[in-house]
Amino acid sequence: MWRVRPVQQGDLKDLIKLAGDHGSQVSSTLPKTEEALAARIEESVASFAGQRFPDHYPRFLFVLEDLGRGQVQGVAGIDARAGNGQPFYNYRMDALIHASHELGVSRRVDVLYPSHALTDRTLLGAFAIAPKLRGTEAFELLSRARLLFIARHREWFSERMVVEIQGIQTEDGKVPFWDSLGRHFFNMDFDTADRYSGMLSKTFIAELMPPNPIYVTLLSPQAQEALAQPHPMTKAVMALLQQEGFHAGHYVDIFDGGPVLEARTDTLKTLVTSDRKRLRLAETDGGERCLLAASEGGDFRCILATVSESLNDVLRAPPEVLQELQCESGCDVTVAPL
Amino acid sequence: MLVIRPLQERDLDDLMTMAEAAGKGLTTLPADRELLQRKIDMAQASFNQRCEPEAGLFLFALEDTELNQCVGISGIQARVGLDEVFYNYRLSTTVNASRELGVHVQTPTLHLTNDMTDTTEICSLLLSGSHRQGGNGLLLSRCRFMFLDDFRRHFSEKVFAEMRGVSDARGLSPLWDALGSRFFDIEFSEADYLTGIGSKSFIAELMPKYPIYLPLLPESAREVIGQVHDNTAPALRMLQAEGFNFNGLVDIFDGGPVVEAFIHNIRTVRESVNRHVLIRHKPLELDVPAEERVMVSNRSFRDFRVTTVPATCISPDTVSLPPEVAEVLEVESGDLVRLAPLKDGGPLPIHTAPGQSR
Repeated sequence: MWRVRPVQQGDLKDLIKLAGDHGSQVSSTLPKTEEALAARIEESVASFAGQRFPDHYPRFLFVLEDLGRGQVQGVAGIDARAGNGQPFYNYRMDALIHASHELGVSRRVDVLYPSHALTDRTLLGAFAIAPKLRGTEAFELLSRARLLFIARHREWFSERMVVEIQGIQTEDGKVPFWDSLGRHFFNMDFDTADRYSGMLSKTFIAELMPPNPIYVTLLSPQAQEALAQPHPMTKAVMALLQQEGFHAGHYVDIFDGGPVLEARTDTLKTLVTSDRKRLRLAETDGGERCLLAASEGGDFRCILATVSESLNDVLRAPPEVLQELQCESGCDVTVAPL
Repeated sequence: MLVIRPLQERDLDDLMTMAEAAGKGLTTLPADRELLQRKIDMAQASFNQRCEPEAGLFLFALEDTELNQCVGISGIQARVGLDEVFYNYRLSTTVNASRELGVHVQTPTLHLTNDMTDTTEICSLLLSGSHRQGGNGLLLSRCRFMFLDDFRRHFSEKVFAEMRGVSDARGLSPLWDALGSRFFDIEFSEADYLTGIGSKSFIAELMPKYPIYLPLLPESAREVIGQVHDNTAPALRMLQAEGFNFNGLVDIFDGGPVVEAFIHNIRTVRESVNRHVLIRHKPLELDVPAEERVMVSNRSFRDFRVTTVPATCISPDTVSLPPEVAEVLEVESGDLVRLAPLKDGGPLPIHTAPGQSR
């Protein structure tokens, strides 16, 4: 059985393994060093314990737990405010028309503008899952549990949400967008820059990123092709997010050129279709397979369960469901269809 | 005898022949009869002060008096960028540094500017192949500095020249191919031609307005920025000898450099002196090598004339001119003329004594 719960210090070892597995091939906003991961966990624990915007910029990490083996197999995060109090960097894809009336010419010129417009939106990120679980129910649970958390703590989060999707990287580890653009200004390879961005403050980006807009036509053909394209490995994540109502807008990542997906928090499918109900203990056979979330803050739990509905907004579930959710009969839960 | 004078109506055919022979390289003088006619009209209006001073286009013809033919042309545009917009790229440096990471990166960057607006440009130099010897090119180019200095109020304090940038035998420019052509879908030679017929600012409207980071351009394009075409190297050396320097601006199409100087610092201006004419009927050997000759200008705005005479004609107070020279210069005994060396390191006219007016 799978369960999503807030991260705890004891999860460090499993997380290091996950971050390592993910490793060089896939960039995740999850830090890769033990020290940085431990700090990130601590930050999350404090956030769940009640540190709130605007005094703090809460950053939540959730883990996917294999209850049978007591092992963590996935991690996913929410930053309540993108940038966490610092500017959040993107390129905005825009276009200019270069026209000359005298010469009868009109030409569209694509331009990338450095942008902080997405700063303070709620950011989903730090997603990593054991490769064998990709595309399974557990995968959906891990990804959507965050949205149920948002549904249960709506006032902690922004009106709009964003997700950065990893961009194109070739099999030999090269990132064409970076090699054509960022490398010239940061004077380091992609992995180094990526590591720094997971570890350091974003000051170095402000210091090193070119301050002026970039003409897309001057980038290498490979970089132009990679612009706003997701890495093939992100296909399942993309599909799930698109079902939720996320869509690619005009923003891309400054390092790898990957797309940034955007959505209105209140129109996400999970938020729209979820309901607050009472959960009562009852022997049932059959019912609907759904996502079930209970409790607040650090006690938040989310599982997959089969429950049956009765009148008066009451759900009935067997004892093991209540046990997994660590709640009593009659507790308040949020339920969403799969 | 070879003499400089304002370009005239009757020079049109000669001009057309020269422009045709010069081919595509000469941006400012395309072989277009109507356009050349317009230029002659503008030059005439300028010398006769029938146009606004800022609109002045002073075109000088080099006339071979024996052939009764115009064999060269050079020009001064009183002000650029007032009628249309005059664009250059400024080659500057962007530094991105992070102390935290120990990274310090210098990025050469092109910024689009209009910095030469309202400045005087020397332009349109063309010398017929048959006359490329004996300092004729120098006369054609340097006569302009005497004109600039004598009539300073018509010009800006600073003058500049745009030097032709690098292009290959087929007329392809590496910078245009890497930059301009991405925004304007024509070949460099065509852009260059449009420039010549006065459409440069139209094209510039289609060019990128934001700074261009050079590392995004290929090596072949980066290395020609600020470089001149091989054929233009002698002209650049001549201007450098006059005190012109690269001012950090380059042409937006081919990356050729802009060189500039303050008029009062130009060598021809600094080394020139004024003398009263003394017409001497005693025969004089006029045919001496270029090294031994000096330029003589009649200091007339409307009927500007310059020719060369042997340096030996100069004495402390006067310059002795044979009657035929005085005739082409349209001067008489007692008139004040201006003298300057023709060649670099050529004989200086006898220096003006302290306190003596020029």
